[in-house]
Amino acid sequence: MGFLQGMNKQLRPAGLCVVFLALTLSNACTETAVEPEVVAGQADPFPSTYAPAAATPVLLNNATLLTGTGRQLDNASILLVDGKIDAIGPAIDFPENAVVIDASGKWITPGLIDVHSHLGVYPAPSHEGNSDGNEITNPNTAQVYAEHSVWTQDPQFTLALAGGVTTLQILPGSANLFGGRGVTLKNIPSRTVQAMKFPGAPYSLKMACGENPKRVYGGEAGQAPASRMANVAGYRTAWIEAANYLDKQEAYAGKQAKGRKPKPPPRNLRLETLAEVLNGNILVHNHCYRGEEMAVMIDVAKEFNYKVTAFHHAVEAYKVADILAEHDICAAMWPEWWGFKHEAYDMVEGNVAMVDAAGACAIVHSDSAITGQRLNQEAAKAMAAGIAAGYPITRAHAINWITSNPAKALGVSARTGSLEVGKMADVVLWDGDPFSVYSRTEKVFIDGVLIYDRLDEARQPVTDFDLGIIDPTGERL
Amino acid sequence: MKGGVKLIVFIGWALIALPAQVEEILIKNATIHTLTRAGIMENADILIQDGSISAVAAGIDSASAGTVIDASGKQVTPGLINAYTYLGIREISMVEGTDDVSTEDEQFSSAFNISSAINPDSTLLPHNLIHGLTHGIVAAESEHQVFAGQGAVLQLGKPSSILTRSVAMFARLGSSSGESGGGSRASSYLKMRQALADTKEYKANREAIRTGNWRDLSLQVHDLEALMPVIDGDLPLVVNVQRASDIKALLELKKEFGFRLVIAGAGEAWRVAAELAEENVPVIIDPMANLPLDFDRLAARLDAAALLDAAGVTVLFTGVGSQHTHSAFLVRQAAGNAVAYGMDKTAALKAMTLNPASVFGFADKTGSLEPGKPANLVIWDGDPLEILTSAKQVIVNGEIIPMVSRSTRLRDRYLDLDSKQEIFYRK
Repeated sequence: MGFLQGMNKQLRPAGLCVVFLALTLSNACTETAVEPEVVAGQADPFPSTYAPAAATPVLLNNATLLTGTGRQLDNASILLVDGKIDAIGPAIDFPENAVVIDASGKWITPGLIDVHSHLGVYPAPSHEGNSDGNEITNPNTAQVYAEHSVWTQDPQFTLALAGGVTTLQILPGSANLFGGRGVTLKNIPSRTVQAMKFPGAPYSLKMACGENPKRVYGGEAGQAPASRMANVAGYRTAWIEAANYLDKQEAYAGKQAKGRKPKPPPRNLRLETLAEVLNGNILVHNHCYRGEEMAVMIDVAKEFNYKVTAFHHAVEAYKVADILAEHDICAAMWPEWWGFKHEAYDMVEGNVAMVDAAGACAIVHSDSAITGQRLNQEAAKAMAAGIAAGYPITRAHAINWITSNPAKALGVSARTGSLEVGKMADVVLWDGDPFSVYSRTEKVFIDGVLIYDRLDEARQPVTDFDLGIIDPTGERL
Repeated sequence: MKGGVKLIVFIGWALIALPAQVEEILIKNATIHTLTRAGIMENADILIQDGSISAVAAGIDSASAGTVIDASGKQVTPGLINAYTYLGIREISMVEGTDDVSTEDEQFSSAFNISSAINPDSTLLPHNLIHGLTHGIVAAESEHQVFAGQGAVLQLGKPSSILTRSVAMFARLGSSSGESGGGSRASSYLKMRQALADTKEYKANREAIRTGNWRDLSLQVHDLEALMPVIDGDLPLVVNVQRASDIKALLELKKEFGFRLVIAGAGEAWRVAAELAEENVPVIIDPMANLPLDFDRLAARLDAAALLDAAGVTVLFTGVGSQHTHSAFLVRQAAGNAVAYGMDKTAALKAMTLNPASVFGFADKTGSLEPGKPANLVIWDGDPLEILTSAKQVIVNGEIIPMVSRSTRLRDRYLDLDSKQEIFYRK
């Protein structure tokens, strides 16, 4: 979504061009759209340092595969070479040095993706000293980055890994209208957060609708927003600022392009994040429960010419599933959480299936370090509810809710989220049907490297926190 | 593709229930988890007469049954019980006036009784009921007191009702005792000990104390009165506690005062499993609660339920996580996970049926499938612990429950978005 370079006045999101044209302005909106110079898109100051370790090729033989593309392949094999999925099929030629694992009777899925996680920013143990997920000092804290709060030694990371989670989006909390930047991590045990960052994954912006911002500010701090209408005014005011900021950046770039040496406009971290949303480089992940509010947020996005990638905690998505589908917006949902707030009161367990049936991108998310350890069971509950509602949902389809669909919402679906040749070898071997309560992960591969093996203690990572904390000669578990 | 066909099957059974009171029901050809010495019976029948189970056997004659349910391929369990909930006392957690879970009142302690707050019309009850939950222990909580007060047993049904007004005394120890502890777990322990000692003193000198001819005790008369059944061993004391050392300290108190102790929370209970078994102390545990959420439960783990059971401890389930009220029925998923991590399947079923009914004194009302007990049971379309399994029919006191809740009605009115204008007219 490029910004029109000729627009250098205030209040000029592209969506308003027609209005401006009709009122006073010149031909700004009719100018040819120029491919935007990404002037606001500074290089990431905290670049990913993750590089997969070298790994011997692995052949997982004769399993049931749920591909994440809607298919179930029985008695199939999958070959992982150099970090990528090299081949899938009933009989595969494999390199001589490959480790061959008999996976008869076992199941294989793509690595699970949790699109809504607070691991590392709300770690265990949970206490004031390490509770770093919400910057509750201003309703707009678009300048903060969740990754700067991530404690990589949070023992919840390795527990999620044992549950088959290979990629997670770590988000700031929902106290603010603009909570800050989220980050997509590979669930690789690491000393630094940079070494977990999914290379090339776009940043996200966490926004929040509804009760939380108005309660935190209007209710507890006595400032705006104190109402849902002030929430919306808050978003719009911020987007106007961001559009202005972007205008200045673009004007600066324009002058530079003409060989001049203009004075650079001052940097503003908060507006930088918002401007990058307007540039299409940062994806909006919007905490929003109510159907009405989702519809309003879609119009706010249209007004300022950005896109909502996903609504999270979308308890009422089923009420507006057709609208979500029409706008190509994902809904990230729990299978059955409800009732903690009035905006979470109208929960229906068919929600995921109903959104899916309407043709929108349905995601099952956790927002929890407990259910995040078993996203497969969360998907299974949503599947059971869908079947109860009359939708003939298969495992091959339901697995998309925790693999390919969240990959799409994170902007990484070309690289992970499904079992397809050429994709990252993020793969989970299950000891049985992943939709059964009795099944557990057996092996978890990230980029072809065996990161977790339930059958081999030597390949079970232990965080610094866990080490020797109960028994000086042992680990926590 | 829409929900119609399935619903007809669902509602089809529900319709049989009208009128509500059915005299005689025969469930045919089911796999029955009796949770008695009869074990699991295949292709067996259950006859329900006057609200109670009159027979569990193969090939019961159906001649007199007004309603016959063919349960071929289905499984029957007793109604599920979640052993630690806020059912009936919490509608919307953050809507003041609908949440009566925890008292901030400093005037009352043990005398506080949650049953007077229970709302039998809560929308949470039908929602949980149609997922197979027929009973919940409703806990008492306090912001300030070590002894929070008395909890109740709620029977979900049509209508829901309070089965036992005072089923147990609830208390907290360790870091979760919060303000009541005065900053050190030692002081909350001391308060608990003092209260029990004062209750003994009160019991021995009741008249003198009531007429004011005695020294001041740590509790007021109404609280001392409420604690008497605890020291008499008539009312179980449920203590929320996580750390192994705190559990051991409690066991010392138990030996000193002789009360009936039940441990809840219990993240590290598995580390003292042998002592708990020896002292016959049941444990209420969420088997999926494996996070070291505070320093009191660093040793929380997924096989804790299996370890406790193997040591001979009576295990009761709650869970999952903070969903133990709005989705208290998820205790079933918790049980399934306990089995995934090593617990015997029948033991896991008992931990959410017979065990809580026995520990809290209502095993004559529910908890197993045997002649003479009221018919509180669930017909499942598969393995009762599996996620993909659903409750097909719930029966409470012999009454067939309509498998409908506010949530299913909301679902049904939005199944068809093509004619949006009609949504508000779909009832």
